[in-house]
Formats: sequence, C-alpha cells, structure tokens
Amino acid sequence: MYRLFLAIRYLLTRPINLLGMFGIALSVWALVVVVSLFSGFLAVIESHVQTASADLTVTQLPDWAQWPTLRDGLRDDSNVAALAPRLVHHGLVARPGVRPGPPPLPGRTSLHGGDQPFVFVIGVDAAAESAVTGFGDWLRNPEIPAALRAPAGSDPFAGADDRPRVLIGRQRMERDGLHPGDPVRWTYAISKSNEQGKVETDQREVDLVVAGAFQTAHAGFDGNNMFVREDVLRKALELPEGAVQEIAVRVRDESQLVPTADRLQRIVSRALDRGNQRSYGAVETWRERNAPFLASVEHQRGLLKIVLIVIMVVAAFLMLATLSMMVTEKVADIGILTAMGGTPAGVTQVFLACGLSITVVGVALGLSTGCLTAVYLEEIRQGLRWATGIDLFPLEVYNLIRVPCRIEPLWLLQVAGMALATGFVVSALPALRAARHDPLVSLRGT
Amino acid sequence: MSAPVLTARAVTKNYRLGKREIPVLRGVDLSIADGERVALLGASGAGKSTLLHVLGLLDAPTSGAVEYDGRVVHDLSVKERALLRHRHTGFVFQFYHLIPELTALQNVLLAQMMGVSMFGYLGRRAALRAQAEELLGQVGLSDRLHHRPAELSGGERQRVAIARALIAQPRVILADEPTGNLDSATATGVVDLMFAVQQQRQLAFLLVTHDERLAQRCDRVVRMFDGKIVGEEAATGAGAAR
Repeated sequence: MYRLFLAIRYLLTRPINLLGMFGIALSVWALVVVVSLFSGFLAVIESHVQTASADLTVTQLPDWAQWPTLRDGLRDDSNVAALAPRLVHHGLVARPGVRPGPPPLPGRTSLHGGDQPFVFVIGVDAAAESAVTGFGDWLRNPEIPAALRAPAGSDPFAGADDRPRVLIGRQRMERDGLHPGDPVRWTYAISKSNEQGKVETDQREVDLVVAGAFQTAHAGFDGNNMFVREDVLRKALELPEGAVQEIAVRVRDESQLVPTADRLQRIVSRALDRGNQRSYGAVETWRERNAPFLASVEHQRGLLKIVLIVIMVVAAFLMLATLSMMVTEKVADIGILTAMGGTPAGVTQVFLACGLSITVVGVALGLSTGCLTAVYLEEIRQGLRWATGIDLFPLEVYNLIRVPCRIEPLWLLQVAGMALATGFVVSALPALRAARHDPLVSLRGT
Repeated sequence: MSAPVLTARAVTKNYRLGKREIPVLRGVDLSIADGERVALLGASGAGKSTLLHVLGLLDAPTSGAVEYDGRVVHDLSVKERALLRHRHTGFVFQFYHLIPELTALQNVLLAQMMGVSMFGYLGRRAALRAQAEELLGQVGLSDRLHHRPAELSGGERQRVAIARALIAQPRVILADEPTGNLDSATATGVVDLMFAVQQQRQLAFLLVTHDERLAQRCDRVVRMFDGKIVGEEAATGAGAAR
C-alpha cells in the first residue's frame, strides 16, 4: 500500500513528472490518429482501386492467344460470372498539331496520372466490359459535367460518322480543354519482325474523335487510361481477328477470388499449352494487379509508424530523465523507508510505481484522445478550415467525401503494449538505482 | 531488571576505504532490557551511530552477533530483517527524516501502511487513522496534523518523528542524537516527551548522544571510544533515580 501511496504523492507534488506523461500521451495520440487516418485512407484507396478494376485479369497473353478458345475454357468455371476481352497498347495522345507536354520527370510514375501525355489505350467491347467492370457507371458518373458526357445508349463510341472514338478521363479532358467531338491524335509505336527476322519499330498515328469522359473513383486510373472500341485497336496494331491481350473477369463470389484465380490459371495454361515447357498467361486478382500502388501507401504507413515510434522513444527518455532526477532528490527518503521496515524491493517498487503510473495515465490519455480525434477528424478539419482557412487534408485531391479513418483494435493494443513496455523499462532503470542506494548514506547525512 | 531484549555480542564492524580496512567497532558487547533507558556517550567517530545501525539491523556486523530476545537476528534475510525493524524497532534521527511531500499525519500513517496490504489498509483505514491522530495528539500536535514538514518547527518535526517511531508499537527505540538539531528549550521538551512515552510503554531505549547531562537522565551510561566500550555506569540524574 505504501508504495502506491508514496508514488502518487511524489507525482502529485512534482509537476515536472507530468512532462513524461504528456510525452507518452502525445506519442500514443499521434500513433493512434495518424495510423487510423492512414488505415482509413488505405481502405478507401483499396475500394477506389477495386471499383476501377476487374475482379480478376488474365494478362501476359501471347500474340497468338485467341479469345474464343480462352472464353470457352474460362466460362466453364462455376465462379465466373462474366468475361470481357481487351486489347491494350500505349502511346501519346494530344490535339493534332499540338506538341504533347513533357514526359514524366525522373521519379514520377504513371501512378500520378492525368498530368503527363503518356497513356494506356484499352480496346474494349463496351457491352462485355460493362458486364465485367463498372464501365457503364464510369460513363454515367454524376460528377461528369453534361458537356463532357459520352452519348447515352448501349454504345458510347457511337457517332455521326465512322471515325474512331475515344473515351478520356474527365480530369484530363478538363485540363486539356477537350470536349466531345474534338479531334485528338494517338501516336504510338509497334514492333514487327522483317523478312530477315530483325525486329523493327515503326511510329504510327491514329486520328481519334473524343466521344466523352469517364470517371472512376480512382483518379490514377482515369489519368492513365483511355478507351477505344476493340476493333479500332486491333486494326491499329494489325492483329488478327479474335486476338486478345487481356481478359477481364467478374466473379460471383468475391470471397473465393484467390482459389478462382488458381483454377483460371490452370485453365489458361492448359489452353495455351504448346508442348514447349513454357507457361503463357497469368491470372491476377485486382489486388495483385495494383500491388505496387497499394504497397506504396502501405509503405508510407509503415514509415510513419517508425517516425512516430521515435517520438515515443524521445518521450521515454524525457521520462527517464525526470524519474532519475526524482530518485537523486529522494535518496534521503530511501534511508528512512529502510529504517521503517522497507526492503530494497519495496524501494524499487515505489519508483517503479511512479513510472508506471505516469505511463498508464499517459497511455490512457493518448488512447482516449487519439480515438476521439480519429473519429471526429472530419469535424476537426472543417472546424480548423472555418477558423483559420487552412485545409489540412484537401479531400478533392484524393476523391474523398470525408477524411477517412479506421481505428484498428489490434493496433491500439500494440501501441498500448509498446508504450507500457517502454514505460516499464525507463521506470525500472532509476528504480533499480534507487534500490542500490545505501540507506545509511542518507541517514548519516545532513 | 528483566532479560535483555536487544544484545550485541563481540560486534565488530570494518569499512573498506580503497584498499584499507577501517575498523569502526572493535568487539562491542551491549545489552538493553525491556523498560531500560541506556545512553551511549562518546566523541564523534567513536562508533556510536554505527553501533546503533548494527543493532537496528540497518547494517550487518563484520563479526559478532546481534540478538533479539536471545535469538540471533543479524544474519536473517533482508525481508526478515525489514519485518523485524518494522514490528519491533522505532528510529528517531537527528535530522528527523520526515518525507517532505507528506503531512504530519501521512508521515505517521505511512509507517502503518508498511505493515499491511492494500486491502488490509483500506479495510482498517479509519481505525489506523484514528490511532495516528491519537498518537500525534499525545505528542502535542493535534492542531498540526495536516501540516507538511516545511510548515513545522524543528521540535514539531521531531515530535512527528517520535510519533512515527511509536506507531507500530515497537519494543525498542533507537534514537540517534534526537536533540542534536534543536535549541535547548525545545530539546528538553522533546526529551521529556520521549522519556515519558518510554516509561509509559516500558520500551527498551538506546539514546546516542554527546550530551553528558542528557545521558545522566538515563538508567545507564555506556561510554565509547575508538570503537570500543570503555566504561559503563549507572546514571546519576533524574532518569537513574526513577
């Protein structure tokens, strides 16, 4: 009893000990808020990426892959709900006679999207694509202004003439001042083997007419991709009838995505088996297909965790300093406690109780305020913007409705455990030093 | 006189200073009986405080034995020695050694807390508190219960220290120059109080002092010089005449 009593009295009469408590509370608060924000952000990003992706994609198909053969094999799988063939190429798209903007600077990737001229051009069958992905919804997105919308109806590529049409991401259209009916030129390269078997690369151009805008929740996808009718791309790439480069797959049961991917992989390998020991085609889930992007956000969350844990270490050193100072000041008490019947273990526990009390209160404060802040982050952002005009988290940049937040109980437990363990270690060091102090030195002293 | 409650048998104590061994106690024999008041008199460095610390189990003898009720106790475990100190020995020091963060009442209560578990204390809190208040009342501090040491005079602080030493109802009081830091009027009051309580409770009382007049108020005066007992006599003062 006396240990806790004395520890609390020591703490209450020494406000400097509150520094350590606030340090621990601040680091726990930061770990809860920032990681909850990033977890929420990651969840939203995943959801955005998923809405712009097919459940599964059969990719890395060889030139000679044939859509009818693969379709017949794949649609037999019980979990496959719909399939859509795709042709995919890339190039630069700009107004005719207008020099495209500069290519991305080193270090900038196509993930940024929309701010560079390089794009992927995807050839699709609009009806099949709509059955597999949200293609139809992307065209009807209410955020697209009426002036930029593609023709309503079953064929978004339809036009008054037979010139090939292209669907462009809304933000790119707005940035380049494009409208439906405007001409654009797609410059691309294809490689062919000549009669001597040497690979030659030719630069080609195709004049396209803007059909309208599309918009998914994933701005990176919108900025990096354009859609044309499948036959337009087949002709441009000089591919044979029935050629396919990617197959988008919608599944019935999303919980069976990975087993379905494994089964489809076997079907594709069997269908493309030429008896040459080579495996053609790869089946990727939407998560695997976007793994680099998702991993980059996850990586940022990991880095932030490390930075914030450093703050906790700094707070722990602050606590160590204040507790050490207290032990030095209280050596006289160690003598009398021993004379009254205290043991070295009891003395250790007095100072350990001081440190642990600081830590427990700091962790409780940090967790509670951290959770509250995380839950009301959007309201705090709005309040701050109203009061100061500063927007800490511009939602439109990330296509968000409110500041995302996801509090993970396991992370809260990890943070609390980490803080308590750190608090225990930095309390134990001065407490053990106190126990080693010779009580007679202070009893003999002045 | 009854059987000795506290005994030192051929106690020696050496301290190491670098490579040198400094003998501080050189074979001390001393007994104190229940209700006996013994003064330990000697110049600075004679070994009085060291002997008090050894008898109070705060320090271990280099050789010899310390007995409590005829039982050798100096070689008990740390925990057993601490328990013995708590239950049977009260200390009063020259510099009071009160805990500055606690009030007079809390300083006394702290000694009680050390003997019970948390639940034991919470269950008997009112009774223990009443006991501490009563004891502080006996030493004349009823109106100073909630004052911290910094708000008390030297004499009042020493009275709190005496109450703290007595709260666990020990059989032995070891007082190390308890009036050394007080003016003579205050010292007289403190000594009168200590002796009254000692007589009332029939405590074994060892008083370390430089003060010949104070020593003569005890039953017996033991003189130390250079780590040895060099003389022992019945006191001639008021205490001896009791």
